[in-house]
This record gives sequence, C-alpha cells and structure tokens, in this order.
Amino acid sequence: MFDGQQEYLVEMRGISKAFGPNRVLRDVSLCLRPGSVHALMGENGAGKSTLMKILAGVHKRDKGLIRMNGVDLNLPSPREALSAGISTVFQELSLLPNLTIAENMFLGREPQTRTGAPDRRRMRAETAAALAELDLKLDPDQLVSTLTIAERQFVEIAHGIKADASVLILDEPTAALNAADVEVLNRSIRNLRAKGRVIVYISHRMDEIFGICDEVTVLKDGQYVGTRAIADVTPDQLIAMMVGRELADLFPARAGNLAQPVLELRGFKAAPKARAFDLTLHQGEILGLAGLEGQGQQRIMRALIGRHPVFGGSLHLHGQALKFPNRANGIRSMARLGLGFVPEDRKEEGLMLGLSVAANLVIGLHAEKPAVAPARALRDVVQRMSDALRIKTASPATPVGALSGGNQQKVLLGRYLAQGLKVLVIEEPTRGVDIGAKSEIYGLLRDFTNAGGAVLVTSRETVELIGLCDRLAIVHGDTVVAEMPAGQATEHGILAAALTTEGVAA
Amino acid sequence: MIAFLRSGFSTRRSRNGLWGVPLVIVVLLVAVLTLATEQFATRENLFNLVAQAMPLLIAAIGQLFVIIVGGLDLSVGSVISFSTAILSLDAPAVVLIPAVFVLAGLVGLINGLVITRLNVHPIIATLAMQYILLGITRILRPVSGGDIPQIIISAVQGSFLGLPMPVFWGVIAIGLAAKLLYGTRFGLHLFGIGGGVAAGMEDAARNFGIRVDRNIVLAYVACSLFAALAGVFLAGRIVSGDPNVGLLFELDAITAAAIGGTQLSGGVGSLHGTVLGAVILALLANGMNMANISPFVQTAIKGGLLLAIVGLQSRKKMGL
Repeated sequence: MFDGQQEYLVEMRGISKAFGPNRVLRDVSLCLRPGSVHALMGENGAGKSTLMKILAGVHKRDKGLIRMNGVDLNLPSPREALSAGISTVFQELSLLPNLTIAENMFLGREPQTRTGAPDRRRMRAETAAALAELDLKLDPDQLVSTLTIAERQFVEIAHGIKADASVLILDEPTAALNAADVEVLNRSIRNLRAKGRVIVYISHRMDEIFGICDEVTVLKDGQYVGTRAIADVTPDQLIAMMVGRELADLFPARAGNLAQPVLELRGFKAAPKARAFDLTLHQGEILGLAGLEGQGQQRIMRALIGRHPVFGGSLHLHGQALKFPNRANGIRSMARLGLGFVPEDRKEEGLMLGLSVAANLVIGLHAEKPAVAPARALRDVVQRMSDALRIKTASPATPVGALSGGNQQKVLLGRYLAQGLKVLVIEEPTRGVDIGAKSEIYGLLRDFTNAGGAVLVTSRETVELIGLCDRLAIVHGDTVVAEMPAGQATEHGILAAALTTEGVAA
Repeated sequence: MIAFLRSGFSTRRSRNGLWGVPLVIVVLLVAVLTLATEQFATRENLFNLVAQAMPLLIAAIGQLFVIIVGGLDLSVGSVISFSTAILSLDAPAVVLIPAVFVLAGLVGLINGLVITRLNVHPIIATLAMQYILLGITRILRPVSGGDIPQIIISAVQGSFLGLPMPVFWGVIAIGLAAKLLYGTRFGLHLFGIGGGVAAGMEDAARNFGIRVDRNIVLAYVACSLFAALAGVFLAGRIVSGDPNVGLLFELDAITAAAIGGTQLSGGVGSLHGTVLGAVILALLANGMNMANISPFVQTAIKGGLLLAIVGLQSRKKMGL
C-alpha cells in the first residue's frame, strides 16, 4: 500500500482497559514490525500482561484500535485472535493436564482423517518433530500432568510456535527455564524472526532482552512510556524508564532506633534448593520483602503461619524458640502467640463478603474462643475499631462486600488490630485501594508499630515498600539476597540488586 | 493389549480413570456366580441379564458425556419416563419415535443453555428440569398404561441372527458413543473442557480456541438423547407408558460411571469403564436376586461398593 510494504504488521493504538474501577491500561500503543523481536517491559502491574491478553482475545479492550496488515481487528475471544494468526504463550501455565502433549499441541485445530476423527498419527508425528526442534525428548502420547514445570513450559512454547502464527506472544517464557534451555528457545525465536514473524517478548531478565530483542516498549502504571531500538538504550536507561516516578508524599515518618528483635529467622529455607538466609524483625519496625514478583516473598510469609512447607531453619518469636507451625492450625497457634496473618486476596481469603462489617471485625476475637462459646456482638469493639480506622459504612450491619476496596481493606486490618496482636504479617496491604485510603492504611500501620507492634509486609508495588518500610529485604529465588534501609532504597537499586544476583545465579 | 490393560490401573498413563478395578470386579463376580449357582451361566439368564442391564447402560453412557465436562444431569430419569409416556400416546410410530428424540434433544438443549448462558449450577438446572418433566409426564400419563408401537416391542423383545435384540441395542449405543467420544474432535474437546474445569483453569480450553459453551450444550443434548434411547428400550420391555419407570435412573447412571473410574470433577473417565460399571450393577442385581437377597440389602450393598471403589481413586495423583 505505502511503498508496497506495511511498516508495521500489528498496530495497537490508544488501548484502554479497566477492571471495575481499576484502570489497568490508559491510551497505550504498541507497534510491531515484521521480522522483529519486540520486548515489552515494565514493573509488575504495569499492564504488560493485560495488553497482551487483549491482543490474544482473552480480554476485551474498552477503547482503542488494533490493526493487522492494515486491517482493523475485533478480537472478542481467543478463537478470533488465533485465526487472525496471533498465538500466545501465557505466563501462567495453561496446558490441559488430562490431555497428551500431542492433543494439547493441536487442541482446537486438530487435523482430521477422512472419517472426521482427529488424525492422531499426524498429530503425533508433527508433535514429535516440533519437540525435536526444541531438543525435547518427550513422548507425544504422554499426559501433560506427568510433565515437570520446565517441560510444560517448553511444550507451551512448542505449541505457540506450532500454531504457525504471524505473531507469537511470549509472556515470561523463561521463568521456569535454565540457561541452556533459554539458548534453545532463542534459536527458535531467531528462526521465526528470519521468517518474518513478529515475536513479542515479555521478560524481566535484562540479559535476555539485550540478547534477543530488536526493539523495546516500556509501560508504566498502565501508560505508554516509549519505544526504543535496543541498540540505542542501556539497561540503566531502561530501568529508569520503568520506574522514574516521583515518590508521592503519602507516607508517614519512619521509626527511630530499633533494638528489640521480635521475630527471628535463622538458616531459613523456603524451598528445597533455595539458599538458607537469616531475617530479623524488630519491635516498632516495618520490614518489607521486596523484589520481582513471585520470587518467594509469599512463600516466606506463608511459611510463618504454616501455609507453606519449611525446608530448614529455626524460628524465634519474642526470644522464644518455636517449632514452625503446621498447616492445620498454624494461623490459630500463631495468633495465640501474638502473630497475625493478613492475606493478600481479601475477597477470596480474607473477608466474608456476605457478612456484615461488624461480624468481619470481631470474627478474629471469636476465633480465639472455644467453638461453642457464645458469640457476643462485641458492639464496643466494633465501635472502637470503626472509629479508629475511620471505616466509612452506612452501618455496622452492612455487608462488607458493599464497601469500597479501601474500606474493605480497613475492615480486614481492623480484625487483626482488634485481636491485640503484636506482630502482623501482611501481604499486599493496599491492593486495589485508592490513593487516599492507601495513605490512611500506611498511617494505621505506622501507628501500630509506634505502639510497640512490628510488621512484615510484601507488596507488588515497590514504591509502596520503599515509602512505608524502615528496612527492605530483597528476595530472589526464594532467598534474601540483600538488605537495605528503605530510606536509601530506590526502585532502581532494588531492581538492580535482584537482577544482578539473578545474572549470577544463571 | 497388556499395556492397555495396565493403564486401567494407573492414573498417570491415561485419562481413562481406574477402569481396571471394575474389570477385575466383573471377572470375579462372573466367576463367583458361575461357580455358586447353576442358573447364572445359562444362555437364558445371560440374555436376560443383557436385557436387564441395557437401559442403565445406555443412560450411563449419556451421563458420561456431561460428567466428562464436569457437569451432571439429574433429569435423565424423567427423560426416560417421559419417553415411555410419549410412546404410549395414540399416534402412529412414525410420528412418536422421532418426536421422542426431538423432545429429548430439546430438553438437553434447554439444560445446556440454562447452565452455560444463565450460569445455573448443573445440579440445580437439571434438578429443576427433572421436576418439570416429571410433572408433564404425569399429566400425559398419570398411571402406567397405553400401548407401545409394535415395531418397538419387536425391536426390543425379538431376536436377530440367533441373538436377542438387546445385544444389538448395546452394540449400537456403545458404537455411537465410541465414535462421538474417541472418533471426533467433539469428544476430544469435551475431555479438554473437563480437564480445564477439574484443574481450576476454566478459561484454558477457551484460550485454545475451543467453543466451550457450545460443546457443553451438545454434551447435555447427547445425554438426553441417550436417555431417550434408554426410555424407548424400556417402553419396549414394559409395553406401556409409565411415569415412574425412570425413577432414580439418573443416580444409577452416575453410580455406573463413577464405579467405572469416571471422575465427577471432569476430564477423566472412559466409555469402557462406564460400560463395566453398568455391567457390575446388573450382575449384582442378577446374582443377589438368585441368592434371594432382599432388594433393600441390595441397595445398601450398591452404596457400599460405590464408596469403596471411588475411595480407591486419588484425584491429586492425576494432577487434576
């Protein structure tokens, strides 16, 4: 059309997407040249995966334009995306465990014999060939449920390549792969690029980005930051593009001197092959576990209440040596010792959405008592917590599910504060909470520690950890790789600490 | 062959479920009944056994389709009664027989649409359908009665090539189901959908580009059509329309599938296992009748067997 050749194979322009009140993407653009590997970068929650799921037809865009070969695309479901030639390897594993490798490879586009049956011989042969191309020695007739995570990841990649699509989206394809596997993958990617395909590559690993990609687009907080040729940027410049935002004046003052250790972990192993580490939480302190998403922060936290197995080490609470709690009654036994666990997903794990604000607030107090003890309404406690936390609700009898995210989070927090605990282990203290409520919650947590409490916290938002915490422990590969005072930490520094150690490990 | 038999005892080799266990039970039951009684291994009794087993076998095959996608169909019993009631109406066979299958297909269609479009739980959706259809059936035929077209009676009670007709019903039903489940993309997609449901990845099959809702609806249609087939067979046996003849068939059908190694969470199960499950129930009834065991005790034994066999299966081992 123009000069006989389209400059871009795929253009996504002005893409916006919100989940409920949560605006995940705002006016984002992404343009992909044929025969190129395009990196998509950004912090956790920047909107990379959402953008790719829109291109894959999994999510519908609220606004914006998607054109492929100059033709507008409407992508109401994955089926349409696949038939348009857009193939995706999702971050979370999505193979069907009860089907064989060959069946997964061809699911939805099985070749047929003359009788209309799936042509299993052809599926088997082509699958074997595709696996061989990736140096995989697997039986195509093996059930996917019998594969290791890395094998599944490779089968997913083989599936994505096999689809013969003109656009291949790889969302963190190397998360479960070792260096040798990554090299095999890169070889396939180069082959595809030579054939004029487009590969979108999402990864946190700088070495991979600079090793295989041609261009990079950076997103931040759901917005487009920029697109650069890889040859024109340095890793430091990329990190600056990913994080460079002002720290809002949201956070309360930090604690002063910290002396008294409250919670001590020694030689702690959160995974069988992880390096052991020590970690100490002091009275009056907010300690954050920072790092890239899914590097073991949650495993470490949940091991403390028995929701995740421990593979070695010792635990001291208030100087007293404890056994690691078990899954069955870990939360109860730790609560008795003054340690409370505030789960990440308040809707699934934390609150009982259909029950009233009051019931959700006092349920922790009731849980401490014998099962047949009369459950008094404890109106004084409800009143006190509602006032202290400034929970905005029509009445204490309102179902908690009707409250805003911020108020729900306050109710959840109030439950543990009402129990008079000394140590709180908190996952994602402000997930899906607006900025005003965030600031209030930070203040509440600081009040709690100023009154002698201690908080261990994780968050996907690194800015939040830097602002809220006194000290940060950087977690990578299920172990603490560095500690730093939060006052001196930067997003750049944290990312660099995590990424550098990753380079060493690989 | 050996490898195939071994896979019946493993949850890692295939998604067929533990169908080796019911196979062993069938062999044992046949051996015990042959040795313990003289009547069992007679030609007459064995043919009678096939005829007794057939309605449940056909209904269980239908139930298998919806269990594979992680659903359940409690309206099967009513569809069976309803079919006998339709056939007992005063109209020519060329009208009645197609009408039975068209109406049953409609029932399955409604079940499927209510489940996929209105997001009603399969148990509730099909339970409601069970009541609705039972009511309609009782309006049509309040008590047992009416005449069944002669062609159906002949097709059930006659014989062909020296074999009683029920044998051919079994061959046709099993052959049809085998083609649908193992010889079409539809069957593979049903397993894929169910595997996703069982593994907590409802969107997985959709992400592969499978038309999930449409396939689920078709599974319920298949279930109702097999139930109607069972109803037509029963009508030929009892030679009348009966509003209660299908009672509890849906639960026996689920029992047969479960004994045959089919996982109610979806994605795991097999046609041969389900057939074996139905055969076990028939053998038990047949054998215990010969041994003069009270039907009440028989029912209790059926429950105990179901619990014992399903208890053997570990869902976690399957990675589901």
